[in-house]
Amino acid sequence: MFENLEVALEGLPRADTLDWQPLDPNLKKLQQLQGLLALAAAAIPLAFINIVAGIPALPAVLVWSGWALVLIVVLAWPGIALPKRGYVVRDRDILFRKGVIWRSVTAIPFNRIQHVETSSTPFDRKFGIATLQLFTAGGSGGDLKIDGLSADTAEQLRVFVLRKVGRSIERAE
Amino acid sequence: MNVLSRDGWQRTSPFAILFFVGKIVRVIAQNAWQSIAPLFVYISVGKEDLVTKIVVGGITLALVIVVGSILSWLFFRYRVLDDSVLIRSGVFRKKQLDIKFDRIQGINTQQNPVYRFLDLVTVTFDTAGSSGDEGNLPAVTRDFANALRKQIGSTRSKRTDAGDDADADSLQPLLKLDWRDMVRIGLADRRALIVFALIGPLMEQMGDEIRGYVDEALQSAALNAMQFGVSTGIQIAAAVLVGLLVLFAMISIAAAFLRYHNFELYLDGTTLRSHGGLLTRHEHSIDLQKIQTLRLQQGIVQIWLKRFSMTARQAISGRKQRRKKVFSIPVVTAAQADGLRPLLLAEEAGRLSQDPRDPGFSPVSAYYMRSRILYIGLLPALAFAAFFAVEVGPPGITGLLWLPVVALLAWRNWKRAGYRFDADEIIRRSGLFGYRTVSLLFRKVQRITVTQSHYQRRKGLASLRLYMASGTVNIPYIELSLARQLRDYILYRIESSEKAWH
Repeated sequence: MFENLEVALEGLPRADTLDWQPLDPNLKKLQQLQGLLALAAAAIPLAFINIVAGIPALPAVLVWSGWALVLIVVLAWPGIALPKRGYVVRDRDILFRKGVIWRSVTAIPFNRIQHVETSSTPFDRKFGIATLQLFTAGGSGGDLKIDGLSADTAEQLRVFVLRKVGRSIERAE
Repeated sequence: MNVLSRDGWQRTSPFAILFFVGKIVRVIAQNAWQSIAPLFVYISVGKEDLVTKIVVGGITLALVIVVGSILSWLFFRYRVLDDSVLIRSGVFRKKQLDIKFDRIQGINTQQNPVYRFLDLVTVTFDTAGSSGDEGNLPAVTRDFANALRKQIGSTRSKRTDAGDDADADSLQPLLKLDWRDMVRIGLADRRALIVFALIGPLMEQMGDEIRGYVDEALQSAALNAMQFGVSTGIQIAAAVLVGLLVLFAMISIAAAFLRYHNFELYLDGTTLRSHGGLLTRHEHSIDLQKIQTLRLQQGIVQIWLKRFSMTARQAISGRKQRRKKVFSIPVVTAAQADGLRPLLLAEEAGRLSQDPRDPGFSPVSAYYMRSRILYIGLLPALAFAAFFAVEVGPPGITGLLWLPVVALLAWRNWKRAGYRFDADEIIRRSGLFGYRTVSLLFRKVQRITVTQSHYQRRKGLASLRLYMASGTVNIPYIELSLARQLRDYILYRIESSEKAWH
């Protein structure tokens, strides 16, 4: 039915049979630590109310077991979710995959990238981690954001992508 | 070219004051509370009688508007350079707007009756990526606008190496709308409902008489119903209702005449232009290269009229602009739309029919219905039924009726969903009561995502999401292998494309 397309498809590079690069292993520790800190921060007012105001036993047990449940999830989730994330840089595009329940693979060709941004929070810097953001035109929802690269990789990628973007602009002109 | 008179700063015609009056009135209307507050304070505090107060207040308001407009005009200057237009404005807070020609996506003009008499137009620059700050040149001559348009076009075609200078006067319109089309636009206009909603409260405030009439009619209907039986009463009530409907249809049709009278569509080199309007003439233009998606839409009324509305969308930055960046053709037949497609989309594409009834569309997987029925239908229905069964008793079971309603809608939505593609473009079909088809060129896609939910993974399905500079187009629940093939192919088309996407 779509003869032209089918012929072209045979020789096309496939984006599925790729070597996915994992994110920085420190990211797991960072996320766990951040989760712990947030939970600890939540525990302080909880404990204060519990002791000072004197909540009856049953609600207190429920609240604290809820807290413990969240704690388990916070500690376990990075170990489940992070292995599912990965990126591939090819000659003409960059791909990023993520998701445990909803899995997605996003591809951005270099000749559609408008600008590139790296950023890191103080926490990130302690663990030597940075976020790379790629922006395309239209701003329809979040553009591609790869968080949890090692700072070196993020910087290398930024330079690499910029060079590729520049080259694709030259080609177009 | 001396129409553009490039030396020095220019002031527009004094008739631009009209434009500024409109602008100030709009600002006052938008900030109704802040601007009316002083007036209100005066009216409630002053010692004069009410009529004097209203007269004085009105005169003050009018003075403020007129003086403000004259000042705005006095401080408004523009200058045309080789590659940009500069606009200086502002009485107290000075502002300079620098609009580069290659950022301009289109030049739109408007002509109110006074301007038409004097052959003046108000130019609006449609720029890419500007956030809200749009440039206006009020009350310049039509010749000036045309010269400007030509110069901007030539700057651009030098850059993109396309477009031949066609003579604007000898152009044949691609499409002309006549009075029957105005009736169709009016009948199909969804805003008729909004007008109804707007007039409703207005009638409550001002039109006690109208309400009196309706009340009287309904009362006599009720009386008649008692005297002559129910049927006469219902007849009268129905007559009142039909009368109202006819009235709103007429208002809507009149609005269509006002906005689109003598609507004509032209292709001027690589620029698509339309103009139309009874009193105020609107002229819109869009550069063909900038078109990202073409949309064909058909509401319930339009299905009955066998017509569509067609829109071409260009790149947006931020949500605010979504409305502004649309070039619309208010009424076309399916055949006309398909005829326009190769012209608007690209010479190499537009071979497929975008008519939603075309048999070439492939359906998406029927599993598309499942999650909707489950999460919007079954679970809420069970929850409602359980809740009401406890609270109200056995009649609460009727809450389960929610399920078949949702199932029916999901089924309709699935029947409407579809897609078709060839080597250059893809068309997505969707809709619930009406139809909508969106077509796009592969090489204009910005990025692509293939998504799979847990359930889709089990069924070997995936959703393909194409991010355009004008928004996203989602093709849900297709075979995973097809989604991947399409992704790889579209990537190949983007990466091997030598043409700019904008």
